Amino acid sequence: MDTVKNAKGGVDFLGYFMRFRSLSVFFVFLLLCIAFTVRSPEYRFISRDNIEVFLALGAEFNIVALAVGMLMICGEFDLSVGSILVFCSFVFLGLFDAGVGVFLAVFLTLGVGTLIGLLHGLITVKTGIPSFITTLGGMLFWRGLTLFWSQGFQRPLDTSQYPLFNESLTGSIAGLIPIQSVWFLGIALVLGFLIHSHKFGNWVFATGDNKQAAKAMGINTDVIKMSCFAIVGLICSFVAIMQIVRVGVFSSRAGDGWELKAIAASVVGGTALTGGTGSIAGVFWGALIISVIENGLVVLRIPYYWTFVIFGVVIISSVIISYLTEQRRLTMGAERDQGASELNSNNRSP
Amino acid sequence: MNGVKSESQISEKPFDQGNPDYLVQMLDIHKWFGKVYALRGVDFQVRENEILGLVGDNGAGKSTLIKILSGFHPADRGEIHFEGRRVSIHNPKDAKRLGIETVYQEQALAPHVSISRNIFMGREPTRALGFLDKKRMDAESLDTLSKIGLRLSDPEAVVEALSGGQRQGVAIARVLYFKAKLVILDEPTIALSVKESRQVMEFIKQLKAGGISVVFITHNIYHVHQIAERFVILAHGEKIGDIRKEDTSVDHLSEIITSERVS
Repeated sequence: MDTVKNAKGGVDFLGYFMRFRSLSVFFVFLLLCIAFTVRSPEYRFISRDNIEVFLALGAEFNIVALAVGMLMICGEFDLSVGSILVFCSFVFLGLFDAGVGVFLAVFLTLGVGTLIGLLHGLITVKTGIPSFITTLGGMLFWRGLTLFWSQGFQRPLDTSQYPLFNESLTGSIAGLIPIQSVWFLGIALVLGFLIHSHKFGNWVFATGDNKQAAKAMGINTDVIKMSCFAIVGLICSFVAIMQIVRVGVFSSRAGDGWELKAIAASVVGGTALTGGTGSIAGVFWGALIISVIENGLVVLRIPYYWTFVIFGVVIISSVIISYLTEQRRLTMGAERDQGASELNSNNRSP
Repeated sequence: MNGVKSESQISEKPFDQGNPDYLVQMLDIHKWFGKVYALRGVDFQVRENEILGLVGDNGAGKSTLIKILSGFHPADRGEIHFEGRRVSIHNPKDAKRLGIETVYQEQALAPHVSISRNIFMGREPTRALGFLDKKRMDAESLDTLSKIGLRLSDPEAVVEALSGGQRQGVAIARVLYFKAKLVILDEPTIALSVKESRQVMEFIKQLKAGGISVVFITHNIYHVHQIAERFVILAHGEKIGDIRKEDTSVDHLSEIITSERVS
């Protein structure tokens, strides 16, 4: 990793932090972990049980947040993630109960999720209405449909006859590391490489940052946006299966409230609401921050409702910090490049 | 006005279709936007390796003419020849394929994305499976920027951190890298300081030195007069003048634009 040097040639730590925003988000996560450890009775926060719960349950939400973060870099929102999730878990349950083979059921459920995402994307880019509205509609529509078909009842799902399948979604590695956290890390790496090292990612950033410029350079921004929506749908349906297999019961409240938490995780991780700015690493730690706050407050036996209050504070303060560092970076950048251009004109003068 | 037009037509008449001296010939271009008759039979030529100033007041049709050439609008009538060959340009991709590149002020770049990613936007060099060849992107970005006289140290810096002149440099370097034959600059100095404008004009000189033709569209006669070798003046959708630099001055040009006829 290269270091950022300031004008005097020394290493500029502030510049480093601004450039590698995800690192500062990581430190916030670390601080929260330390605080929860110190404050929790008998250091229960770092007990093996709690870490396992945190890694397993938190990962489900975290995976969804990664996809939402990518979509936000592309300049769009998705408020429907919780509803796609609950709809897809109902679809999976229905297919499974109907006797469709488990792998076909998985395949079809992932397909349904992808198509829902694609549909949201298609409506958004073809009509030009804000995705905020499209997916707000989607949020109501898919959960409404799920409630209608399920009548709001809980229904059991028993996949115990497929131990390998269960193990791959809810098991653990060496009986120690929950497999969900491995999925989280794996999906983060795949999306990270896709967004930061693949040309698709460059198109996503360009589309989110300046759609006109991207179009003028021959990038099909509609296809890029629809692809991002489709990836969100795919990932929601995957997490839906993962969650219903772990819980063993279908609940029409699954994924409730995740849409705003996922946006919060992205914003905390340094993703701009206007698109074009952000990183998967940032969203990775941002999602962990949101999950660790939820987990930590439970361990500290602080009433659950406080989590909302604290989320509110965390979101607003992280956006303020983003805003201030952005301002600061711009003025610093201008100074630096003014220096560079002066240097340049000195070199050029005869 | 019609008298003026026919006069300029007479002076322009003796060119042949497919004349190899011309890089671009646009002949008898007409364009309507609904009931607005935006271009009324304009002939427009750009020579090989020439800096051409396209001037005129607001609403004269400069941008419409250029958007037809760069494929954003189709012409309602008229023909376009490029390198002596008749071509049809239906969309920006067609224009780019011919080597016609347009640089729009503030529309061309993604501000939060790095310099090298901007330069290669949409045409990224890749390794296997579509992964970016970042080393090559960075090295060739700096190399291309230095060709127009812009020396930057950090190709990973975001474009937003650059000065206005440097941003134009990045946008111009991008078209240079992709082997443009004709670069159209739409008001490249409109939002820039005096020093930055001078920098941009230096970039334009470097383009010409590299054998590229440049069409410089502007309101600012002082800027364009310093650098262009020929001026085409439009008014109300018609070409009212086509003058070599030796035959005119800043005062003369502004006189033509304000009076809307060649005196």
